[in-house]
Amino acid sequence: MVLKIEHLTGGYSKTPVIHDVSLDIKKGEIVGLIGLNGAGKSTTIKHILGLLRPHSGEIRVAGTTISEDAENYRKRLAYIPETPVLYEELTLKEHILMTAMAYGIEEEDALERAGELLGIFRLDSKINMFPTHFSKGMKQKVMLVCAFLARPDLYIIDEPFLGLDPLGIDSLIDLMVRERDAGRSILMSTHILATAEKYCDRFAIIDSGRMVADGTLEELRISLDMAAASLDEVYLKITGGTSADAR
Amino acid sequence: MPDNLFRPRVNEDIRRRSYYGKFIFNSHFLIFLTIAGGVFIYSLLGILQTLEPSVWLDLIASAVVALFLLPGYRSLLKPADGIFLLPYETHMGTYLKNAGRYSLMLGISKAVTAAVIALLLLTVGHGAIGIMLFLLLALIHYTVNFHVRKRVINTGISISLMTVILFVMDVLSLILVLQHPVWLILSLVFLLAADRYVKGREHPAFDWNAYIEHEEVQLNRYYRNVSMFTNVNHIDKQFKRRKYLDPLLWKPAGMSFGKEKMYEFLFYRTFARDHDLPMIILRLIILFGIVMVWMGNLYVSIVTGLFGIYVIVLQMSQIYSAQAYLLWPKVWPVDRSFIQKSYVTFSHKAVFAVTLVFGIIFAIVHPGFAYIAFVFPLWGYLTNRVFSRAVYKKEQELSD
Repeated sequence: MVLKIEHLTGGYSKTPVIHDVSLDIKKGEIVGLIGLNGAGKSTTIKHILGLLRPHSGEIRVAGTTISEDAENYRKRLAYIPETPVLYEELTLKEHILMTAMAYGIEEEDALERAGELLGIFRLDSKINMFPTHFSKGMKQKVMLVCAFLARPDLYIIDEPFLGLDPLGIDSLIDLMVRERDAGRSILMSTHILATAEKYCDRFAIIDSGRMVADGTLEELRISLDMAAASLDEVYLKITGGTSADAR
Repeated sequence: MPDNLFRPRVNEDIRRRSYYGKFIFNSHFLIFLTIAGGVFIYSLLGILQTLEPSVWLDLIASAVVALFLLPGYRSLLKPADGIFLLPYETHMGTYLKNAGRYSLMLGISKAVTAAVIALLLLTVGHGAIGIMLFLLLALIHYTVNFHVRKRVINTGISISLMTVILFVMDVLSLILVLQHPVWLILSLVFLLAADRYVKGREHPAFDWNAYIEHEEVQLNRYYRNVSMFTNVNHIDKQFKRRKYLDPLLWKPAGMSFGKEKMYEFLFYRTFARDHDLPMIILRLIILFGIVMVWMGNLYVSIVTGLFGIYVIVLQMSQIYSAQAYLLWPKVWPVDRSFIQKSYVTFSHKAVFAVTLVFGIIFAIVHPGFAYIAFVFPLWGYLTNRVFSRAVYKKEQELSD
């Protein structure tokens, strides 16, 4: 199991935002963490990343908790935030080198892996520029390049398609599928259900901070007796059509 | 509504100034100011006794005062005002008047200090009436300049260009009035013309964006000035590419290419590409170097050098703070202690280079006591060690 969350309760302060969340991700799986704004998706992700301390419950990545071995735990993750977070003083190449040093990748290997990714996202001519001067979509591509060159066991992608142009979305989907085929897993948070339906192997539906359903689309349809229903329809049925305001 | 808005905004600004004021005017700085101020006045009075009346002396007095006759306008407006206060545009009169009064008050202390220094200089060769006229004209310029600079924001005229024009006009007017009182009339005509010219180019409507942007620039400038003495969290950091420095920036290679050296790699770039920091440090070295050379006193040179290093070490620590709180060091599989270790390595090297400059200046000014210069690197090392620890401690407390 790449990720195992057991009975996680937590949030930003003493008041919990997510309650008793459990989730497993196996090797080579793309899992869609879906829910409306404020449902608790980002809070769950922040707990997995170790940015928040759980009130109760446990999170294991490749069998390790963050308190047991923080470095090993983090080495198995790569995170792509919803809003690009970049070093204003570093060029694109220097971002790549920083990522490589952080993940213990040799310089030549890193530049070779990055070269391919830069080509995919059409950034190869901008390697010596400051990414902070790029457009939002291009900044997001820089985040993707840095994450994908690390080749960890689990990618955590928060709203992956936000700000990307159609070609960028297409390239990202190809990459995600390629990584899955290579045995790596992806947890993708999104509320764009039509896209999630097409590319995710499984869905974890979170509503008002609680995990209300988990399974393949087929399993969800069967459990709700909604044959041929879209993910949107399944989601509305499960959540009762109400939006969450957990945060 | 806008009338009720001014009081909390001005209180917020006063709180901000008193908060940073406590850090800037700490006991060390006050001791330094007292010593430096005392030596400055003592040496100035000594120089005045030997000076003869001259137009150059008038020029210096006029330029010193003119530098501080350009009060900036602080509207205290915020970006959201451009949306939420639009319907109240016609009711902004009282708010803007109050903001104007507050802005005038903010610049007055520096103008008065400059006037006192000028007053001392003008005692050489000028009578009471001449000095009174000079001060009266300075007061008129201070007020009119303020209104002109405030109006310029609402025109297409370059603020920097207008500031240069006003400064030149101030220097000329002040020096001319010292030569003959009749020049006062010409000076007033100049001022009136500048005011009419800018008024004629004002946009018919209030340019919210321009005023909000101007306020942001002013606030950022204030933070930058404060950051010369203490850490400022709110500062809007900007970086310059400075491609020409790339070959000089150290990069780990071979076995060093890894997590142990990654933050040092980052710190070199943060420092070299920071929009202001290298220039601030250069300015501080020049400023303290000038004081050391000008005073020429052994003890003053030592105190000035030590204080200069202290201020520069304070400056350097903002690099660490800027990196420690970012997202990536919390997500990357790298122990946070590497940030601290790398900062210590980087900052000791940088501070050593700075102390070497101070040591050289000291050795040139006091060749007979050149051996004392060794205290500068030692002081730099110790202060950097203490400040680094204080920054980690603060970071630990915040992360807990």
